[in-house]
Amino acid sequence: MMTSRIGEARIRVPDRIQRGDLITVHSIVSHPMDTGFFRDAEGDPIPAYFIEHVVVTYGGDEVARFDWTSGISRDPVVSFTLRADKEAPLTMVWTDNQGAAFKQSISIGFASV
Amino acid sequence: MSHSEGSPRRAFLRSCAAAAAGLFASGTLSRAEQLLAATGPEDPEVPNEEIARILKEISDGRPIRRGHVSLDMPLVAEDGRVVPVIIETDLPMTAENYVKAVHLIVDHNPDPHLAAFHLTAALGRVSISTRIKMKRTTWVRAIMQTSNGDVWAGYTRVLVTLNGCG
Repeated sequence: MMTSRIGEARIRVPDRIQRGDLITVHSIVSHPMDTGFFRDAEGDPIPAYFIEHVVVTYGGDEVARFDWTSGISRDPVVSFTLRADKEAPLTMVWTDNQGAAFKQSISIGFASV
Repeated sequence: MSHSEGSPRRAFLRSCAAAAAGLFASGTLSRAEQLLAATGPEDPEVPNEEIARILKEISDGRPIRRGHVSLDMPLVAEDGRVVPVIIETDLPMTAENYVKAVHLIVDHNPDPHLAAFHLTAALGRVSISTRIKMKRTTWVRAIMQTSNGDVWAGYTRVLVTLNGCG
């Protein structure tokens, strides 16, 4: 069950990263992802309310951009690979169809050998 | 369930036979067969008008070929609200040639063009996983566009036992 507030987001990367590694980035954001096809207990339609855009930047460069619909499940998760070639922040911004933007960052640093 | 299970496959087989007969006999092709011909014989299911339009739009009129795309989904989705998807490819991900977009299409969903993932070579490899909603049993299509204009597709059929779209 979703217990966190809408827009709360987490990004996870491996603990030990070395320069040039292909890493998997895991992310989750809390969002109801309402389709607009359901009604509430009073019979009133629940309007569509979902994450529409996700932008991923790594050290200031946009490396990926996702366009979503309400067909993505509630509390959207997305994982993708990234070539860790610099020590820099990885930032994701999720924007919903009501214009709210939710941001989360994690710093990519290299393990000392 | 048994109706939605059987009919698309029968329709597909019928239209394959009809398309083949039509082509060999140079007869007039019906609309469905024109759509089938337009998207290639490797297509698993005759795209309806909406799907055909989406495919045409994302492929920019280029032929959609089956291959290089791995679309990993469960054979049976017990809960259509949460169906895991993993999309991968062996296509290169270099500055010279990379997968610039991955489109996920679920034929019989209310909004079939479910997601588009725009990528860059900085990712190093395509391996995307997420969770989606599915209304009913259908084919799912993952379509990849490369930076040099090729369009590759992978298809998988998922049996949905609980409607996830209302």
